[in-house]
Amino acid sequence: MLKRLSDWLDNRTGYKHLLEEALDEPVHGGARWRYVFGSAVTTAFMIQAVTGVLLMTAYSPSSSTAWGSVYYISHQMVGGWFVRGLHHFGAQAMVVLLFLHLLQVLIAGAYRAPREVNWWLGMVLLFITLAFSLTGYLLPWDQKGYWATKVATNIMGITPLIGAEVQKVVVGGNEYGNQTLTRFYGLHVGVLPGLLVLTLAAHVAVFRRHGVTAPPKATGSDPFWPKQVFMDTVASVAVLGVVAFFAVAERGAPLDAPAEPSSSDYPARPEWYFLSLFQMLKMPAFAGENEVIGAIVVPGAIVVALMAFPLLDKLIPRKLAHFLACGLVFALAGAAGVLTVQAMKEDAANADFQANRVKADAARKRALFLAGHPEAGVPPEGSRYVLLNDPLHTGMSVLERKCLACHYFDGKGVLERGAEGKMVMTKQIASDLKGFGSREWLSGLLANPSDAKYFGTSPQLGGMARWKKSSKLKPDELEKVVDFVALFSKVGAEETIDDWLGREEIAEHPGLEPFKKDCGRCHMVDPEGILGEGGEEEAPNLFAWGSPRWTRRMIRHPNAADRYGFLDEKDQMPGFDDTELTDREMSVLLRLLNGDFVPNPPETAGETSH
Amino acid sequence: MGASPPSTRTLDTDRRTFHKVASIFLGSILGVVLSVPGVAFVLSPILKRSEGAEDDSGSDGFQPIAKISDLEEGIPRVFPILGKTTDAWVKYPEEPIGAVWVIRKGQEVKAFSAECPHLGCAVGLGPDGNSFYCPCHTSSFAFDGAAQNKIPPRGMDSLEVKTAPSPSGDDPEIRVKFQRFRTAIPEKTPLA
Repeated sequence: MLKRLSDWLDNRTGYKHLLEEALDEPVHGGARWRYVFGSAVTTAFMIQAVTGVLLMTAYSPSSSTAWGSVYYISHQMVGGWFVRGLHHFGAQAMVVLLFLHLLQVLIAGAYRAPREVNWWLGMVLLFITLAFSLTGYLLPWDQKGYWATKVATNIMGITPLIGAEVQKVVVGGNEYGNQTLTRFYGLHVGVLPGLLVLTLAAHVAVFRRHGVTAPPKATGSDPFWPKQVFMDTVASVAVLGVVAFFAVAERGAPLDAPAEPSSSDYPARPEWYFLSLFQMLKMPAFAGENEVIGAIVVPGAIVVALMAFPLLDKLIPRKLAHFLACGLVFALAGAAGVLTVQAMKEDAANADFQANRVKADAARKRALFLAGHPEAGVPPEGSRYVLLNDPLHTGMSVLERKCLACHYFDGKGVLERGAEGKMVMTKQIASDLKGFGSREWLSGLLANPSDAKYFGTSPQLGGMARWKKSSKLKPDELEKVVDFVALFSKVGAEETIDDWLGREEIAEHPGLEPFKKDCGRCHMVDPEGILGEGGEEEAPNLFAWGSPRWTRRMIRHPNAADRYGFLDEKDQMPGFDDTELTDREMSVLLRLLNGDFVPNPPETAGETSH
Repeated sequence: MGASPPSTRTLDTDRRTFHKVASIFLGSILGVVLSVPGVAFVLSPILKRSEGAEDDSGSDGFQPIAKISDLEEGIPRVFPILGKTTDAWVKYPEEPIGAVWVIRKGQEVKAFSAECPHLGCAVGLGPDGNSFYCPCHTSSFAFDGAAQNKIPPRGMDSLEVKTAPSPSGDDPEIRVKFQRFRTAIPEKTPLA
């Protein structure tokens, strides 16, 4: 029955003949392990094709969504980490196997006539693979891909005559963004696979025409099936095994923090197999005006030399030509190895690079943590805002830039270059803002206003210290005052003083009377004087103290009459209008001060994330 | 399809020539119709003249960065540059789009784009703290922007600076006009 079915199918399609042609192909000189490299590369490509199509079903190519979708693949989808891990390490396996395949062909002399064209087709496949790698690196739209791509496309831009225009076409304009991603994506999943399949088909067809290059003394012949197929399959399984091992051992593929074009210290590095070219660009011989030599001419010359190998036989004796070709490739591989090790060693010894990497890793951990946190996640504006909207990341950086020249935070200012280039801590001349507005901060202030944490470093703010000396509040009364004032930070954004005083828990609060008696002597809160008449000394209005609205006004208008306008101008805090501190910066800063953010998980606690 | 019609042998040369020429002609039409718009589509970044890259918020392109008192004499500080950007079909509100290094000597303020003129990485401070340094390919620059080794093709890109009295008083505001320049060439050429 089955026989009749297959006969019928063969009659209609001729598939048996095709199959025989494919499987009974004679391997002259017998099947050998050394012939497995071509199949191994093809297997690596198949892994890429399968995992790549899977990733396509979940990836979203735009500057606002790419990072989030890759995060989702790696951290939320079932098996996503494994699929992406296979794709990540499969790409590297493909580069390594291609190089091994090239070496085997070279050593066997299989690039020579009549197989020149196949050698060239192999070169084309090599470039397509490197193009895959360059375009794929950008797709997660993380810091690593963004900066590496910026460098790679800028290198493209120095090609004489056409460089600038080519770069603009590839990048999709002058700025890196949506158009860059859609273009790289189109290349990576459409153009390059098409080219690769066509070239690979031609490569295999031409290979079949000339057959393997058997060693000189080899005799006999095996059909392709089953001995060579068995060997190829063993090699393919080994490839998959190694790729899967790395994917599991590394728990998938890495994902850096979302691309941040305004970073000023991201230490960009290319993928490891480009490190030798990267290192070359650091050499003075290929720098400055000679950039084009290191970036374009030398790599181009190497390619031309490789392409010319089959033609050498026409000029010089065959043996010598083979020796020179092998010698050149081994020398290049050796040089690349030395440069790669050098690049890694220099980075390992470079304290600045390491410090920047630590910072970048903290940002990466924070971004991944927030993206997966039920109270955070990736906002609709885009992945970049995972960190831009984060008080702990961006708020802290705003605080350091704008506030810590005078204030401290958690006992620390910022390190600044002193006169002799040494790093020194800024001098504290204003309060410590850690926990500002909280009950704890307030309670500390009322216990000892002269502490460095409060007004101890700002002698112009001596009022609280004078109050402390003269105050007759008993400890339990002071506690009630602390409870009462702490309620100010909960005043709503739209609430008026009358609304607030009308609230039952305020009107009947046991801290109200002692507040009026003691604090109300200087601080005037309400015009009717329910909370004290003020006037004994000048002091800011405490209504809503510690809430975002109070602090926002303090930052925008510190010299207002209801803030610290009574101080001499030289003693005042400088104000920050919305050009100096944007609304977004203000918002993350206030949330940082109010502790309104998702804290880091315990194992990374204490790390600041930028 | 059955067997080929017996008339093939009777086709005269003119007819054969017509079929050849017409096939090539019609085939070319197919190619042209698909490839001309295709090529134009791909080349649109260089064909489309007004690429709405950046839209600086200030009318003159200058934006306030800091106040004179924020800078200690001779010690450079880095500040973010804010701008509204258009990323293809998305319009973003004002947000950080780049960074500048600012350094003061007396009342004279200089600003440099933090984008390395070599290959566009972000320039930071050197390990000695007395120079600018790019972590990618070790380009090094003096605090006046001059290249200190042969890696970069030119010095750091200086930006136009205006110091204007601030509304609040005598601490002048530093305003900078941010621009991007082509990398890896000796001349400082603004990106159009």
